[in-house]
Amino acid sequence: MKAKAAAVLLGFMALMLYVSCGRKPAPSKPDVLVNAYDVQQDWNDANHLIPLEYQPAQGKRLFFDNCVWCHADSTPAGPSNRSNLSPTPALINDGTVLNTLSDDYLRNVITLGGSALGKSAMMPPWGKTLTQDDIQALISYIRVVAQPPYRAPARPQPQYSVR
Amino acid sequence: MTAEQMGKVSNRLRFAFAIASVLFVASLAVSPVKDLLREWKQYKRGYARFAEGRPDTKALLADFHPGIDQIWIPELNVTDRCVTCHQGIMQPSLGDPSVPEPFRAHSPIPHGVKDWGCVVCHRGQGLATEAQEAHETTQAWERPLLPASYIQASCGACHRAGIPETPRLDRGRQLLVELNCVGCHRLQDIERPAMLGPDLTDVGTKVTRQWIYKWLKEPRTVTDSNGNITINGVENEVEPKMPQFRLGEDEIRALSAYLISLQSKPVEPYKFNPQVVAALGKKPDLVDQGQVRFRQMFCTTCHSVAVTRAGETQLIGGDIGPELTKVGSKVDPDWLVAWLRDPQANLPHALMPRYRWSDEDLYLVTRYITSSLTDPDLISDVPKLGPPAPQETQLGKRLFVEKGCSSCHLAAGTKPQTDFGPDLTNVGGKTVSQLEFGTSSIPRTLVSYIQAKVGDPASVNPSARMPQYHFKAGDLEAVTTALLSMTGRPETPARAALVIAPSHPEFRPAGEFARLFERYKCYVCHRFNGSGGTLAPDLSYEGSRAQRKWLISFLKNPQTVRPTLTFRMPQFNMTDEEAATMADYLEMVMQSPDVDIGGVDPKTLTPQMATSGKQLYDVKYQCQSCHTIGATGGYVGPNLNNVGNWLNAAWIAAWLKNPQALAPGAIEPRREFTDQELLALTAYLVTLRQNPQAGGTARTAGAPGGTR
Repeated sequence: MKAKAAAVLLGFMALMLYVSCGRKPAPSKPDVLVNAYDVQQDWNDANHLIPLEYQPAQGKRLFFDNCVWCHADSTPAGPSNRSNLSPTPALINDGTVLNTLSDDYLRNVITLGGSALGKSAMMPPWGKTLTQDDIQALISYIRVVAQPPYRAPARPQPQYSVR
Repeated sequence: MTAEQMGKVSNRLRFAFAIASVLFVASLAVSPVKDLLREWKQYKRGYARFAEGRPDTKALLADFHPGIDQIWIPELNVTDRCVTCHQGIMQPSLGDPSVPEPFRAHSPIPHGVKDWGCVVCHRGQGLATEAQEAHETTQAWERPLLPASYIQASCGACHRAGIPETPRLDRGRQLLVELNCVGCHRLQDIERPAMLGPDLTDVGTKVTRQWIYKWLKEPRTVTDSNGNITINGVENEVEPKMPQFRLGEDEIRALSAYLISLQSKPVEPYKFNPQVVAALGKKPDLVDQGQVRFRQMFCTTCHSVAVTRAGETQLIGGDIGPELTKVGSKVDPDWLVAWLRDPQANLPHALMPRYRWSDEDLYLVTRYITSSLTDPDLISDVPKLGPPAPQETQLGKRLFVEKGCSSCHLAAGTKPQTDFGPDLTNVGGKTVSQLEFGTSSIPRTLVSYIQAKVGDPASVNPSARMPQYHFKAGDLEAVTTALLSMTGRPETPARAALVIAPSHPEFRPAGEFARLFERYKCYVCHRFNGSGGTLAPDLSYEGSRAQRKWLISFLKNPQTVRPTLTFRMPQFNMTDEEAATMADYLEMVMQSPDVDIGGVDPKTLTPQMATSGKQLYDVKYQCQSCHTIGATGGYVGPNLNNVGNWLNAAWIAAWLKNPQALAPGAIEPRREFTDQELLALTAYLVTLRQNPQAGGTARTAGAPGGTR
């Protein structure tokens, strides 16, 4: 008798447990490209598509409007001006060069131009043409397309724990 | 009943009561347990745990409270509880991709989450507190989340005027216009233009029945010997305007019979000057000369032609007019001459300019087209058709209307048809239950429906009359995005007030200039006060910019200003008076309020200033990285060899001061020149003049007074 009651009780509790937890949503596997605002094709590998969030996507647009003429080997309007220049400007996706430069340095060189930082005056200042948000978008784009991939500098570890 | 029995009963009752109490307590416990295990509470606890592991815990938990968070903006009809789970959405330090969802911050966007909520852009159910209900279609909610790759559709719901931040949406809207979707459908913000397809009233005098047959069967794609699908015999990525209709053999025969019967007036052969024909006809290199003229006149700015170089065939040229690789095998030679002499007489809405042909040029170019731009095999696979039978013609006439041909084409005896297809002004706001998926197995969402319908109409409805389009990578998604942005009437008055409607400025010149403007179709390539094409420079401020003398010589003989451009202005063979009329109009009317033409007097610019300007150009600012002077310099900006003859001094100074004020979006960076530097650079640039007699060779005048 007691065993029967215990079984009923257990069954009831199991049912309650099922009701409360049973409707867990099935984990869906999101498609990276479907969830990307825009996509950039890797210059070195046509099959490699790099998903871009909103900010780097704006960087892509600004890059193709303003920078592509000198910082890429081909442009939408024909041959690139890059080979014309000395010293040769870095390619936008050249991680070996750009990964070593901090965000602050990139922001300064884009805003103030090469001559302000002791580099070639052929890099003009863009601070009065582009907004700081635009320049931040360009930097985020540079970071996303970098080959080899860019790794953000490690965050300084907290000195003490909040716990 | 004995006491013993009574005791037994009461024991049983007690036992039953005990079980019932336990059950009751258990059932009372269900509710708090269930509440404790709610999905959003799990995320809340998860976020608190996650935040404790981050260095900036205090900032991350500053607004934390254990209840449901929501953004409530009644005027936008927004009650979004998304932030209950997506708790880090406004935390700038959580933008890193390594942060697990749903805690990651939103990529920085111009519209803050606090002011706009989430569903305005992302769709989904804002009130829901379970991920599935919030994100997906449920029985009670038919606006699921929009995948991020289509999110630009939401920008377009308010920004109907188009913004640079949404390239995919803009591409989609552009395709909807280019592909003539308004021929059959009503679309938001896209007007039905005067011309969609050619007027077919006299098509029988232009082409043969065999050609029509071939064109209707496969208007774009012809399989080459290797089995590759090509367009008009050449691999091409541009989708021509005439799409592929699903027509049966009988239908194609009938339509070709009907169309070939459309000959209201025969083409009158043009009588060339017999002396010209006699002189040119004897030349062995007649066709080659014709090709040279064809190129010199820059026909390829609007028309493309297949060119084989080093074994690789590709199309060279623009896409404003039709591709011409095999046009010599398509059109009647007499028709061609008549067309070139006066396109508008054949087709009033034609965009082709009416050139001032000399008999020599016309003879050479038409001979080149009819003998070189040909393909003897073009219609070799077309069956024998013979003269059209009356019943075929009758059927063809009926099909012309039934298949929707008359939505884009005019023909004698048929009325132009509007609204042949469904109204799509609200297609992006449709719910799943309003869509007919038929027997197709695509996912039951609006996005996949639109994509399937546009990409392959027969996959959703086998008897669809909609033609088959061939999209290249990304374009189908772009069209889908543009269609999703058409959501009809805004939900609330506050949202309606946010809509930025596109403006369609019109430029209607008057007088003699207007006649030339229409004859040479300046507006097809150039923009005037916001109206016109985008292929060539915007001429809204041309009067402030260019000198009259330069304008006249350019109109007479357009040379290239930028060496990297493949598309150049065609030579119209204008008369002197015409060029002068145009230049005068541009100088008088197309002025910028930001340029004071008398502001910089060239006489006050001294040779000393020019010398220091050259220093600034060469050393301090290194303008040669983008501009060419002489034979050296970059290709990004215009060649400055002749800038002293070309631009007004006041324009140069105003441009250097702020290029974007004169041409929004100009890529020349705005710099902080001092007024002295500005005048010095202007003084230097106005000294750069090319001797008109020197022809194409670049001769640079140095700064007068010599260089140090």
